[in-house]
Amino acid sequence: MSDPLNKNSETGETPRVKLPPAEPRGYFEGESMTRRRVFTVASQAIGGVAAAAVVLPVVGFAVAPLFTRGEERWEAVGPLSDFTAEDYKQVVFTETPGIGEVGKTTAYVRTGSEKYDEDPSDVIAVSTRCAHLGCPVRFVQAAQNFICPCHGGVYDFLGKRIGGPPVRPLDRFQTRVRGGQVELGPRYSVTNQLKAVRVRDPGEFTGGIWEYLYPPRPSTFPPPSN
Amino acid sequence: MSLLKRKKSETAESNGSGDAEAVAKPAKPGRMSQAKDLGVHHGTQAGIDVAGWVDSRVNATGIFTAMMSRHVPKGTNWFYTLGSATMFIFAMQAITGVFLSMYYTPSATQAYASITHLTNEVFMGEFVRGLHKWGASLMIILIFLHMARTFFFGAYKYPRELNWVIGVVLLILTTVMGLTGYLLPFDQRSFWATIVANNITASGPIVGPYLADFLRAGPDFSATTLSRFYALHMMVVPGLIAALIGAHLFFVVKLGTTAPPWVRAGRPKGSRPEEEVTAGVAKEDFDEVPVNGAVVAAAAAPPVDEADADAAEAEEVEAKEAEETEAAVAPEEPAQEAAEEAAADETAPEEPPADPADAPDEPGEGEVNQ
Repeated sequence: MSDPLNKNSETGETPRVKLPPAEPRGYFEGESMTRRRVFTVASQAIGGVAAAAVVLPVVGFAVAPLFTRGEERWEAVGPLSDFTAEDYKQVVFTETPGIGEVGKTTAYVRTGSEKYDEDPSDVIAVSTRCAHLGCPVRFVQAAQNFICPCHGGVYDFLGKRIGGPPVRPLDRFQTRVRGGQVELGPRYSVTNQLKAVRVRDPGEFTGGIWEYLYPPRPSTFPPPSN
Repeated sequence: MSLLKRKKSETAESNGSGDAEAVAKPAKPGRMSQAKDLGVHHGTQAGIDVAGWVDSRVNATGIFTAMMSRHVPKGTNWFYTLGSATMFIFAMQAITGVFLSMYYTPSATQAYASITHLTNEVFMGEFVRGLHKWGASLMIILIFLHMARTFFFGAYKYPRELNWVIGVVLLILTTVMGLTGYLLPFDQRSFWATIVANNITASGPIVGPYLADFLRAGPDFSATTLSRFYALHMMVVPGLIAALIGAHLFFVVKLGTTAPPWVRAGRPKGSRPEEEVTAGVAKEDFDEVPVNGAVVAAAAAPPVDEADADAAEAEEVEAKEAEETEAAVAPEEPAQEAAEEAAADETAPEEPPADPADAPDEPGEGEVNQ
């Protein structure tokens, strides 16, 4: 191809000014980039910006729930006199509002038992969400155990795992007493020593080094102080 | 003949990125003669022959022929239909799914009611939903059988690894369709199955908890979980699957299918697929060669070596563009010529080896033009 500086070379005329040949080909002297390359890069950059302007907000829109925490809800489940230290009472309350029956969950509630070194003024609410894969467990009176129908997870009276595939005790709900009414609040998980930790999904370890495999999520509430 | 001319002018066009004017002129008559050959009668009947009208612009017949009249290896059998069976099930799922969405409400409070209405009251609703439900299971079964065929026939090997990778992604996306679709009826079974599936996702280390949050749109099953699953099931994943099926098919057409292992085992060394592709020669030629000894020995072995040597030389000498042209042009042409020849004379297995000798010539001419 012709020398880009000698514009008349195609018509056969002898150029008036003899310019040194560009080296490498296609570059003007002193250039580090051809014009073609400049426009290629520029148009690709503009296209990239346009694509990012669409894609980034959409992705942010889709992943936003990971970083937003819902409103803290407390729901009354009955007067304090309904609950004893010896036995669980089953209550149904709404954990997630706005989705009807699906948002409801079951909890087993009792007051603190001196037999287990608990403060009698405390109210303990054990979640029925199995710590294996989230099936609903049932408290069996005769055995005084929580038993999961799906894969045979068994928990003792306190909700500690004593058999089956679960990796940690049953979750609990924060409790408080307002105007004589027991209220249930956000869910939290516990370690094998029943120490409160930030809520984790079923199947995830609490306590020990395995806990580090499951970092806490910003969408969950911090645990109550022990 | 004219097809050959057209190829050459195309080669020139794609080569001459620098001096387009020089090439544009000789390209024109080529296009005219092509139109004539494809049956377009300029002037009087141009408007009548719709297929010809389209063909003269986009060569639809050529594309269709390349897709549907491919040369397939000897020994091709019913197992080779599993891939297209999977694709047709996907098409059925797409069609029934679109119509099911006309009656479905992706809301946690209304989903179950809309499903029972669809099933029990809408005309043919039970049938359409049944097609979708059973088709889902069938698609999973077929895609696994298709994968098994690919694996046991060694069809994932060079040069088809990329298609295997795409196939694995398609398999995963199909199971994602199964997962997201299972929730939509929103009865006890689908709800608890989704809870369990979500918690299995969550139990993956490090990313699991966040992935589960993403799927549920929050730390718990919430109002947006169902609509999120619906959007994934209805838009995102089917779009990805359709696009990847397109790529999958493109590679199948471009690379051809593999002969069953027992057929390949009987072939001489020179005709193994990896060597064919190195030489820049379409494998279809060799698939055409019958497996009985004498003809194969006479026809296949020496030309391949020649072509190999040519290609090796060419790679060293030529510029990058020329190489690309070679890759683009060489596999197509023998196929088209072979098609012509097959039409003329079906009993000419000695012909294909003539094409490999032709193929390296093409870029050579392109070089002169440059």
